[in-house]
Amino acid sequence: MSSLAVKDRPGRLRKEPSGGRSPRRWPGWLTGWAFVFPAVALFAVMGAYTIGSGLALSFAKWNGFTPTWNWVGVQNYLDLLYADPVLAPELRRAGWNTLQVMIAVPLLTVVISLPLAVALNSVRRLRGVLRSVYFLPYVTTGVAIYFAWRYVLEPDGAINTLLRSLGLGTLSQPQGFLGNPSTALPTLILVLVWSSVPVATLLYLSGLQAIDPHLFEAAQIDGAAPRHVLRRVIWPLLRPITAVIVLLGVRDTLHGFQIFLVMTNGGPGGHTDALALMAYRLSFFKGLAQTLGLASALGWLLFAGAVLLTLVNARMLRRVQ
Amino acid sequence: MTARRVVRAVVFVALFVYALISLYPFLWMISGAFKGRSEILEGGFLPRAFTLDTLTQTWGRLHFFDYFLNSLKVTGLTVLGVLVVYSLASYAFAVLDFPGRRILFWFFVALLFVPGITMLLPVVILEKQLGVLGTHIGLVLPFVNGTAPLTVLLLTNAYGSIPRELREAARSDGASEVRIFWSVYLPLARPAHVTVAVLTAVPTWNEYVLTRVSISDPSRYTLPLGLESLISSEVPRYNEVMAASLIIVIPVIVLFLFLQRYFVNGLVGAIKG
Repeated sequence: MSSLAVKDRPGRLRKEPSGGRSPRRWPGWLTGWAFVFPAVALFAVMGAYTIGSGLALSFAKWNGFTPTWNWVGVQNYLDLLYADPVLAPELRRAGWNTLQVMIAVPLLTVVISLPLAVALNSVRRLRGVLRSVYFLPYVTTGVAIYFAWRYVLEPDGAINTLLRSLGLGTLSQPQGFLGNPSTALPTLILVLVWSSVPVATLLYLSGLQAIDPHLFEAAQIDGAAPRHVLRRVIWPLLRPITAVIVLLGVRDTLHGFQIFLVMTNGGPGGHTDALALMAYRLSFFKGLAQTLGLASALGWLLFAGAVLLTLVNARMLRRVQ
Repeated sequence: MTARRVVRAVVFVALFVYALISLYPFLWMISGAFKGRSEILEGGFLPRAFTLDTLTQTWGRLHFFDYFLNSLKVTGLTVLGVLVVYSLASYAFAVLDFPGRRILFWFFVALLFVPGITMLLPVVILEKQLGVLGTHIGLVLPFVNGTAPLTVLLLTNAYGSIPRELREAARSDGASEVRIFWSVYLPLARPAHVTVAVLTAVPTWNEYVLTRVSISDPSRYTLPLGLESLISSEVPRYNEVMAASLIIVIPVIVLFLFLQRYFVNGLVGAIKG
């Protein structure tokens, strides 16, 4: 980013040859604006306008079909937070689920990917192949892979069969892992961890490779046990990376809901509902009910939450560095 | 010495176990795609009556060839749009000087924190008014706009790391700004462009949420919508679902295997930058 600080006006460093007709005779800023114009224009239509109209809509009631909006002030926000007897509990439950996911996924991701990266860094043979294999869940994440998970998690699916054949039949789920209210959310969390381990492992691996190998040698000469090296040397040096991984995980759970939509659609009985999924439902699946303003308001609450968490996280990041 | 051997063995076993976990759903996807309609209901992993019929039928009779072409079109246009629009903008952010440069740059990066769901409904409403809702262009425009933060970050970093002496040399030879951009910066930053292309192509190829709420005409379905139409039938035939999933996943895996280092560099670079 250092380049942004460089100050040199085009044309100042070198005396222009006389009699120029080239475009560099233009004032510099005009060229700059010409280059950013397409991006700004696209954003003006697809971003600024939509953000503005979305914000306005959050203060109105509308069903998407009537010609006018009914302005209701902050009523949508109040309804969502506590006033409405149906929506407020729904929001609280979805919020609780989202919170659980937000805490569990980054935590488990770190717990799995750090040892994995350390192990991967310690082997020479097969490292490249294993790294590619570990990375597959990231590149393919999406509808297709979620359906594959649904298939293996079915009542007669591969995971139940596997558990029974290992003599762990008590752990198998006759209703399927996604059909049982008490296992559905933990199952989704594990699938989310599965798809976020690749990037975390990759980041840790690149962090480990940047650590001076002399540090390990020095520690070994001093007679430090491997677990001490891990705790006293590696972990502190990787803390900034951990902070980034946690930040990404938190952001992804707040933003992403595709997995909830595809794998359970909030079910069974709302046990895997998430905030973004609730906004999606209010946006597109309420027919003629006037829920679009509510959907927008919920979207803005999510945005506020994302900004807040980012600030908190950035603060923690600064402290550990 | 033996203790060390044991540790190494444990490490290898752990690494292989996680490799198996990574591959687990893919293995079942492949197994399911090569099973027939009756065998899919049984539990076994290896198909007893190995058949290509499921794949060929999904590709042909279930119109997955058409969906494939639609996906290719949407992904291709999105990648093209992203490269054109944001390479120009990032060039301006990295090397040109104009009022509003810093503010605009940080503004584009800050968009990373706007949740997709906050934008989704207004985009759909706007596109309805503009009459592009349900068309492929109606998908491409918000997709391009959505990649702005990451792309601007990556490309501005890439252009910024090119020595400015090159630019000054080209200028003194009388090259115009467009010429410098085209003949100096674009070729030198080619790896960054490939990275941006793959990091755009993969999520676009997999995109499902906006596509689902905007496309209603089955002839415009992309692959994820085609897949979804298979599973929403009352009794999903999982062999067809897995065949369709395989059709979606294979191009991405091939792309990944050939361009692996661009994925890796891009992610590490984007997060550290």
